[in-house]
Order: sequence, then C-alpha cells, then structure tokens
Amino acid sequence: MPDPTPMEIPTMQVACDVNGESFTRDIPVDMPLLEFLRDVLGLTGTKGACLEGECGSCTVLVDGETINSCLMLAAQVNNRSVTTIEGLAAGTELDVIQDSFVATGAAQCGYCTPGLIMSARALLNDQPDISESELLTALEGNICRCTGYASIIEAVKRAHRESQNA
Amino acid sequence: MIQQVTTTESDQTLDAPIAPADHLVGKSCRRVDGQEKVTGAALYGADLFPNSAELFASVVRSEHAHANIVSIDATQALEVAGILGVYTHADVGGTNIHGLIRRDHPALASKRVRYFGDSIAVVVAKTERAAKLGRDKVAVTYEPLPVIATMEQAIAEGACKLYPEGNVMGDKRIRKGDVERALADSHVVVSDTFFTQTVDHAFLDIEAGTGHWDGQVLTLYVAGQWVHEERRLIALALGLPVEQIRIIQPVTGGAFGGREDISIQIYLGLAALKHQGKTIALRYTRSESMRARHKRHALKIESTFGANADGMLTAAKIVVYSDEGAYASTGIAVMRKAASHATGPYCVPNVEVDVYGVHTNNNPTGAMRGFGACQMAIAYEGMMDRVARALDMDRETFRRKNLIQSGDTVTTGQRIDPVSVGLCLTKAIQKFKDQPYPGSDHLPAHIKRGWGMSAICFGLGYGDGFPDCSRARVELSDSGIATVYTGGVEVGQGLLNAMMQIAGEELGLPFESMRIVAADTELTDESGSSSATRQTYFTGNAVRMAASELREQVLDIAGIKLKVHPHEITLQHGWAYETSNSNNRVRMEKICTEGLTRGYSLKATALFKPRTIVEIPNTGQSPRAFITYLFGAHVSQVLVNIETGEVKVERHIAAHDVGKAVNPQSVEGQIVGGVAQGLGMALMEEVTYRDGRIMNPGLTDYIIPTIKDLPPVEAIIVEHDDPGGPFGAHGVGEPPLIGAVPAILSAIYDATGKAPCELPMSPERTWRLINEVCENDPLSKVF
Amino acid sequence: MFHQPMTFEHALDLRSELGTDATVINGGTDVVVAMNHGAIKPTTFIDVSRIKALRGIEKQNGHLIMGAGVTFADLGKMHFRALREASLSVGGPAIRNMGTIGGNIATASPAGDGCVALLAMNAEVQLSSKARGDRWMPLVDYFIDYRKTALADDELIKAVRVHNNPRSRWYKIGKRGAVNISLVCCAISQNENNKTELAFGCVGPIPKVAPKASALLTGETLTPELIDDVANLVTHEVAPIDDQRGTATYRRAMCSTLTKRLLTQLMEDAPKGDADA
Ligand SMILES: Cc1cc2nc3c(=O)[nH]c(=O)nc-3n(C[C@@H](O)[C@@H](O)[C@H](O)COP(=O)(O)OP(=O)(O)OC[C@H]3O[C@@H](n4cnc5c(N)ncnc54)[C@H](O)[C@@H]3O)c2cc1C
Ligand code: FES
Ligand code: FES
Repeated sequence: MPDPTPMEIPTMQVACDVNGESFTRDIPVDMPLLEFLRDVLGLTGTKGACLEGECGSCTVLVDGETINSCLMLAAQVNNRSVTTIEGLAAGTELDVIQDSFVATGAAQCGYCTPGLIMSARALLNDQPDISESELLTALEGNICRCTGYASIIEAVKRAHRESQNA
Repeated sequence: MIQQVTTTESDQTLDAPIAPADHLVGKSCRRVDGQEKVTGAALYGADLFPNSAELFASVVRSEHAHANIVSIDATQALEVAGILGVYTHADVGGTNIHGLIRRDHPALASKRVRYFGDSIAVVVAKTERAAKLGRDKVAVTYEPLPVIATMEQAIAEGACKLYPEGNVMGDKRIRKGDVERALADSHVVVSDTFFTQTVDHAFLDIEAGTGHWDGQVLTLYVAGQWVHEERRLIALALGLPVEQIRIIQPVTGGAFGGREDISIQIYLGLAALKHQGKTIALRYTRSESMRARHKRHALKIESTFGANADGMLTAAKIVVYSDEGAYASTGIAVMRKAASHATGPYCVPNVEVDVYGVHTNNNPTGAMRGFGACQMAIAYEGMMDRVARALDMDRETFRRKNLIQSGDTVTTGQRIDPVSVGLCLTKAIQKFKDQPYPGSDHLPAHIKRGWGMSAICFGLGYGDGFPDCSRARVELSDSGIATVYTGGVEVGQGLLNAMMQIAGEELGLPFESMRIVAADTELTDESGSSSATRQTYFTGNAVRMAASELREQVLDIAGIKLKVHPHEITLQHGWAYETSNSNNRVRMEKICTEGLTRGYSLKATALFKPRTIVEIPNTGQSPRAFITYLFGAHVSQVLVNIETGEVKVERHIAAHDVGKAVNPQSVEGQIVGGVAQGLGMALMEEVTYRDGRIMNPGLTDYIIPTIKDLPPVEAIIVEHDDPGGPFGAHGVGEPPLIGAVPAILSAIYDATGKAPCELPMSPERTWRLINEVCENDPLSKVF
Repeated sequence: MFHQPMTFEHALDLRSELGTDATVINGGTDVVVAMNHGAIKPTTFIDVSRIKALRGIEKQNGHLIMGAGVTFADLGKMHFRALREASLSVGGPAIRNMGTIGGNIATASPAGDGCVALLAMNAEVQLSSKARGDRWMPLVDYFIDYRKTALADDELIKAVRVHNNPRSRWYKIGKRGAVNISLVCCAISQNENNKTELAFGCVGPIPKVAPKASALLTGETLTPELIDDVANLVTHEVAPIDDQRGTATYRRAMCSTLTKRLLTQLMEDAPKGDADA
C-alpha cells in the first residue's frame, strides 16, 4: 500500500466532554487521544514518553476509568467524558492527591506526575479501603525514572488518609 | 524559568513576636516547582508546541552503522506537500562539529556516518507529519564500510579504522608501588573479569524544543545540562557569535547525564536560521531518542587483587576496556574517573590500572549518573567479596580492615580528610541487623535469600584540573524579596529549592520571600553543568557567597536604623533585630527600601572556583584530583529463585554522607531514586545491539524498574559537615546509584554461592550463573 | 472512515463490506502501538468497543462464555485461576481496562498470555461472519502460524468459551516485577476427569499446547515421578528460538521447570479440593 500523504487521512467529527467542558472538533481518524488532548485542545498536562503503553505518563480517565491516551484513538471517545490532570484542581485549590505529591516530594522532574496522579485518583475514587498491594498494583503501569517510588507511595497514602478524614 | 513561592504569610504586626528562627538549610521546604508540576501547568519542551510551533523539523539519520556517504538527494522530499526545506552539512555556517571535550561529532554528517543514529539532514515543513514524510523521502546513497560492533573487533589486527589514528581513543593509567612483586608475595591472589552493559538514561521527557531566529537573536528553548557551554558549542557549529544565541531551559523531565551532549539544539538552530521569524519545533520519538543519544559506557574490567594472610590488601592490577562508540563525547573524562576510582575507598599500596577507550560503531558513550565510577564499583566491590571468600574471612571484617580512614590516600595519592565510609557502613549494617526484615523465614526450597553490602567513594566535580566553577547573583527588592540567579539547570534534582534555601538561610528570610531565576543564558551567569554531583557544592557556595555579601549590606543598613553595631544584629524570618533586645527591630522591606534609596546596590555576585590539579599522566597521581570526596554504603537483601533465575530485591538500605542535607526530602529522593536506577542496572536494563543497530529502542524492551520492583528503600542520611561546602553540604546525586549495583550483586552472590560478573543479572543470566551454563551466549554484547 | 457500530450485526455488515480495507479495533493496545511505530497506517476503522453484547460473561450448559470485548480488567475478577492471573499480568491497570481477550486472540502473539491460559483450558473460539453465521472451533486449531489464524477476512471474533470448572495454574517469567512481556509462560488446567492440559507461550511461532505431555497425564493421578517424566517430555515438544529477549536454551529449560512447578502445585493442592479461588 502506498504511503498515504498527510492530506489523505480522512477526518471525522468528534464530540466529547473534557474536564466538564464540551468540545466538538474535526480530527483525522487515526489521531490518538493523547495528540488530541495536547495538540488540538492544548491540554499539555498529559504527557507522552513512549507511545506504546509502557510508561503511563499519558494516563487519563475515560468515563472514570484509567486508560493510556497514547493507545486510544480520539475517535473512540466520541460522546464520552475525559478527565485529565487539568481537570482535578478546583481553581487554585489542589486535589488532595496533587497536594500530597507536593508535600512528600513525589514530583521530582514531574514528568510522570500527571499520569501517576490520574492512576491514584481512579484508585481512590473506586475504593474506600486500599491495601498496600492494591496500591502498588494501581500504580504498576506508571514508570517514574526519578523517585524510586517511595515518595509516590507516601503521597497516595497521605491523600487516602486525608480524604478519609475529610 | 522564573519560579516563585505562591503562598504568602499573613503580615506580622510590629508587636507580634518574631517567628522562631526558620532554618531553611536542613528543612524540607515544599518544592517551589511542585504546584506547576502536579497541576500539569509546567511547560516541558514539547508542551511549548501548541502555543508556539509554526514549523516542524525532522532529522534524517543514517541507515548504516558505518558507511561513506556517496550522495544526498532531496528532490523527492521537496515534492512532499508542506515541505519547506531540506538542509545538509553544506547549509551549516560554522564548524558543523560539536563534542563536549574532543570536538569530533559532526552535527550533520558530510562524508561518513559512524553509527546508526548519525544525523545527515534536517527537514523543515509546515506540519510534523509532512516533516516526517519528507525525512523518509530524502535519498541517501551509502557505500557501506565494515561495521565494528565489538571492542574485540575494534582492536583486532587489520580492523577497519574509524579514525585515522586508529580505534583506540585514548588511555588512562595509575601506577603506584610494585604490583608484580606485591602480587607474588601475596597470600591470596584473586582474578575475575566483569562485564558491565550499555545503559540508557531513559529520562521520561523525550528531547523536544523550539527555536526562533529574529535576525538578531537565536532563541532556543531546549533542555540541556549546562546552558552556557551548550551555547558555545551551538555558536561554533552554526558560525554565530555567542551573544546572538539565547538558551532558555524549559521545565525538564530528568537528565541523568543524558542531556550533557548536544541533542536537538543545532538542528533547531539551523532550521530557525533558515526560516527567520518562524518558531520551529522539533521532538524525537522514544526510539529516535534512544537511537540518537549517547549511552553509559559498557566496560570490560579485568581485575586481579592480592591480600596477605591478615586480610590486608596488597595490590590491585586492573585493565579496563571501555566501549566509546562512534564519537568521543565525554569519554576521556569517564576513563579518567574509572581509573581514579578503580580501587574505591580501599587502601591498596600497589596499584596498576590501565583504561583503554575503544571506538566502535555503537552509539557514542558519555555521561550518565556515576560516570565511570559506577562501573568500577561493581568490579572493586565484587573483588572484595571474592577476596574475602578466598581468605575465608567475613565480608564486612575484610572490608573494614582495608577501608580508608581519615587522612589516608585514595588510589590517586590524594589524601582525604574526613573519611566517613566506615561510618556509613556501620550505620547501614546496624540498621540491617537491628531491624530484621519482617518477611517469612520459611522459604520454599527453590527460593534462596541472601544479603550483600557495598562501600563506595566518589570524587565530586569534574576534577583533574578541568575548569570548574559556578557563579551566582542574589538581589533584594524593595519589598524584601530575594531573587537568586543561577545558570544551573533544574532537571528534577531539586536545585531550585537548594539554592533558594541556602540564600534564604544566609539572609534570614522565610522561604516565601525567596524567588529564583535559573538557566537562561540572557538572565543568568554561568554555573557549570548539573552533573558530577557538583551543583549543591559549587553553585551552592557561589549562592552563599553572594548572599553573604548582601547580608553585610543588610546588616550595615540595619545597624544605622537600629543604632547598634552590625555584629549585634540577628536576621530572622524577615526581620533584623538587636540580638539582645528583639524589640529593637526593623523589617527587611524597610531595610531594603532604605538601602536602595541610600545607594546600596542590594545586589551581589560571586564566583566559586576551587582548584583541582591535573594528574601526572604516567602515574595518574594528583595531590588534589577532586575537590572533595563523598562516601556511602549499602546493604541489600534479595530472594533468588534458583530454578528460574528471577531475583527480587526484598530490602535495601543506603547510607550516604551528604555533608549537610540542605533539603532532607530532596536528599532522600535522590538516594531512593538512585537506588532504583541502580536496581535497574543490576537486574534488567541493557541496550542490546546487533551490528551497531539498537535492538530495543523503546520502553517495551528497554525495561526499567516499576513500582513493583522496588522494596521500601531505607535511606540513611549521614551528616558529616564538609568544611568546604555551603553550610557543610556537599552533594548526593550520583553515589546512591553507584552503591546500589554492587550491593545487589553481592546479595546474589550470597544467596547463590556464585559470583556474578556480567550485567544485568536478568533471570536468564542468573540462571546461567547458578547452573554454570556458559555455552555461547547469543545475547548481544559489545565486547 | 471511522465506523463505530453499536451492534455486532452492524459490525459484521461492515466487516463483510470492507474486509481487509478496514482495521478492526477494540482496546487498541496492539493496533495503536503498531500505528505509533509506523508499522501500519490504517485509514478505515471498525471500532467494536461500543458493542455491549461483546462485553458479556455468561454461564451456559456447563460452559462459561466470554464475549470478545471482555477486558483483562474484567477477566482479572474471574475465578479461573490461570485466566485471572494471566489477565492481571497484562500491562498495568490502564492497559487492562483497554485490552480485550478478543484482541489478544486476534493478534495471536506467541507471547499472548490470554491465549496461553485459554489454550490450557481447552477453550473454543466463536468466529462469525455475515455470510456464514457463527462457528465454534477449538482454540488450538485456530492458531496456524506466526500471527496467522483461522479468522477469515469477513469474520469477527464473537466469543470464547471454556468448561465451567477446571482447576488451573499459570506462571510467567518476566524481567521485572510488573508490566512484563513473557520470556516464557506456562498454563496448566485439569478438569473433573483428571484430563490435564499444558500450554506454553514464547516457545515457538504460536501459543503452544503440549499434546504428548498432556496425553501422559490424562487420567493419571499426579505423582512426583510422573511429574518428572512430563517435565522432561515437554522440552521435546516446544521449539523456542533465540531472540533478544532470551535464548532457546533458557526457554526450553524453563518449560520444564514451570511444568514441574505448576503440576506440583496442583498435586499438593489437590487434597484441598478445588483450590482454584
Ligand atoms: C504495555 C502493554 C503491555 C502488554 N502486556 C501484555 C501481556 O503481558 N500479555 C499479553 O498477552 N498481551 C500484552 N499486551 C498486548 C495486549 O494488550 C493485547 O494483545 C490485547 O489483548 C489486545 O486487545 P485490544 O482490545 O487492545 O486489541 P486491539 O489492539 O484493538 O486489536 C488487536 C487485534 O485484534 C483485532 N481484533 C480486535 N477485536 C477483534 C474482534 N472482535 N474480532 C476480530 N478481530 C479483532 C484487531 O483488528 C487487531 O488486529 C500488552 C500491550 C501493551 C500495550
Ligand atoms: S505514552 Fe502512553 S504509556 Fe507511555
Ligand atoms: S519524577 Fe521524574 S519521572 Fe517521575
């Protein structure tokens, strides 16, 4: 099959809800959600570090579930709702997980941070009680090259404690 | 990059007591860049694209590991819709060469390519898709040359030469005493050969940035590790005066040495110069990043150590071959670091070390966390375990007999005082023994538990007379806010906080009154690289010196206001008060306003430039090879599945003397993070080549530790004031990785009774070790 | 074009109309990886991820039927131990929320963990087309050669089924603690009649069963001696190759090691009754 030139990629209209706001855009059918969020909507908080599902930096929530936005096509979120890191803080008030990441020093270079926070958010949304092993499993798809994870684990535990006390 | 703390404290009224002394040094202040990093607001290189990218660039790379370039034909590429230009070496205005020490690396190859990642042309287009399509249509004709895939091939008789001088890039040596005689007289002599692997930095934030030329200034937003030196290299290659280049470091997602060499800067600069007024964007994919970037040197280390019957080391004879890859990068310095750290923190009276750097058609090898010292620690600590076993002596006892003490010399002849390696080892082992691991003692027969240790040293800074200095500027504003200006780059390690805390401590200001501007060649002065574990020490000293000069100005002004001698004044939490009467006081704002109206500068700059001494080439001896030494010791406990070779690190303790922990949370983060990278190097990470081509250029097959691989790492911060460091601090970046790898290998040795000598100890290698399967191993090697 | 059928029938219509011109996509964890690598450049998609009928798990005449769109996250909650553990070993949680068993079977990678677990459980796969309707076939017959399967160009995978209550064990050797591509993987299951089946991943071009070893075990009570014999025999039934992840020597040895370990577990757990949960 000859290489399609950039112009030959068919486009389609996608309507979705991102962080509570509705968007309708014409996009190429083969565009990954990650590219849509970053390059089309300008939401660059979601990162990409591998584009093969291995690092988790691109983790976002689609209808409340974590997915790797580098591997979902934007077309697939038609009529669905997406939550990204930009959707967590209420104004200047940080989400308790975000605050905990700062408090424990879990964001060193910070590149893995948005993805990790989204994975942690899904975990805390789902479960009132979490065991150590559930916590590790929830974060196992998110690579961090800087921290060695200890401060990240501490951050999620702190956030969990704080949200239970709240 | 301008950083400021967003929370402000409520105003203190005049009668309120002054807040207690807030010692910023030693306090885990919240990271100043934390908020923007957790909200996704931080802008890393590629995050600049949506708002600024107008044109996109892409790089044409060699399809051969070694070849002559016969022709480069851009005709077809130029026909692709949206393509605006294809640029080759002929379009580069300057030397077209870069290289941190030896300038040997063409920005765009003209005649010859020496590795698969070598760059040949830059394509500029209206969209990224078009740029990549155009890139794939640039037709390069090659005349293939024999590929030198291994060091063995490189030094073989009649091997194809990568350079006219041949394939040996250089050598470094140590000569001390009479090794042959000492070995002959030794009670035991033990030899082994270690093979360390090629390692990738695998920082998450892939190379990406923008470039813009307005006819006067070329502005580059690209993450590096030493923006001022990068500016020089770009200027030379592109033929621009340095003054016409401005580099601004975007928020940076890790470096670990991987941003020391030039990456995308020259391509972006070239593209920008050709498209005046347009902002050019360029980003790599993970595979391009891995294919293009330098790597950690793979070393073959032949070690022979002798000891007498009392367990005292007598001699060490070490020969090292280092895969330098296609270009020199920082290789020469890595070789020297390997030589000067060949016997680690041990007293060895007779030493002979030869390090040979060998060019191959693999990726260039250069800086990565640990920089030569890391590989040597694997060998010398491996040898400590082996010699102890040969002597039938306990591993710890044997180490302790031979560890240097304060006032002893290391292998370069440099006398070190104070030495804290013994203390680190004591603390680590004590913790290990006093708080037993809670895990079960009842293991199935196929699971073996073992523990190991390591003791390491690390010379801080570039050393060996290599120019090394840092500058800093600190300014006070009308409102009593202090701003620190540093050329140093924040790559995640916590440099910004450290510098703000040091300056704040000196000025008696709360953290909230501190600001920092970093790594912008226009706004900040040169502070050397964020590498060699040097920033806390070097830039920290410069910042402290500048702040201390400001402090004098502040005290002078306050003295006039408070009508007391400046020496009778305390600066605390934004106030100056008479030490014996805190009611006689004045706020920093008032002092600053007063000072500025009276003509005080309230600005100070400082230069910190300690000297080191270049070694005597024939012996490698130098009375001051490094400005100071860092020490650490680790204990690791592993479970080995002897049937499958799987290894699980159950527990890891790392004790490091950091002088003084400026921000203990950051220090702990560096220690645990370093252990994680060490664990990766010990057990899983490995760039594999086939005939110079990387076989695993992605995170699917270049695997790095997940959260499930790390045990809870126990970090012990040892604080042993460094007399030369700011507030006694020295640094911590590299040593934790260096200590982690040999401790894990030592634990595997303990668990299996077999001494590992090849990295990484993947399940298969561990299984081979246990079962002594050494039939020809088809896994790729660079030896 | 991007087609997003809401019913399986509509999907079959599209499939028969578009054939290989359209790329079927569900979780995208194989398809989009290949796109991101530039290995494929599809411009027409049939997205089956919205078809509710493909997401069902139901019991029927002693069988458990799983729709092709059941995700690894769903399978991770099942009581079949081998399938559950295999599913939970796939990627991280986000990958498991996306990746489907149908996609795993369609990709037919020799490292496909879902495929290996299902093979050991004597699974059958249901293929459907507009023209010829549904057909069930043993999964073992479905895999033909490296990434070549019995799926026709107008067919879709509809479901996969296994007998209700096998006891099963599974183990995968990887290079790290999570998100592992297998170096070798082994699954074993045993039904009420002591029929025991073994399957392996990464030991040849397709997920592989070991019929001779299985035959040796059939109807027998597990003993250490028998287990040793079987563990020896499997090394002759697998044909692993050297690749950059590992060597044939190691993989062959591991097939034997894992066989022995998993059968021993089954033997030791047998007195506890169905210790599958
Ligand atoms: C990071 C990562 C880790 C992974 N780890 C593992 C692992 O440990 N073990 C493992 O086995 N796999 C692993 N995988 C691969 C695994 O996720 C896939 O094989 C998954 O099962 C594919 O399902 P999908 O729904 O995502 O398929 P897609 O990518 O959507 O499709 C895969 C293939 O199946 C076809 N297809 C999908 N549905 C149907 C259908 N109903 N009928 C016909 N054809 C169909 C598609 O056309 C395509 O050819 C991993 C993948 C990633 C990215
Ligand atoms: S970018 Fe999506 S997982 Fe790495
Ligand atoms: S903080 Fe740098 S990758 Fe996690």
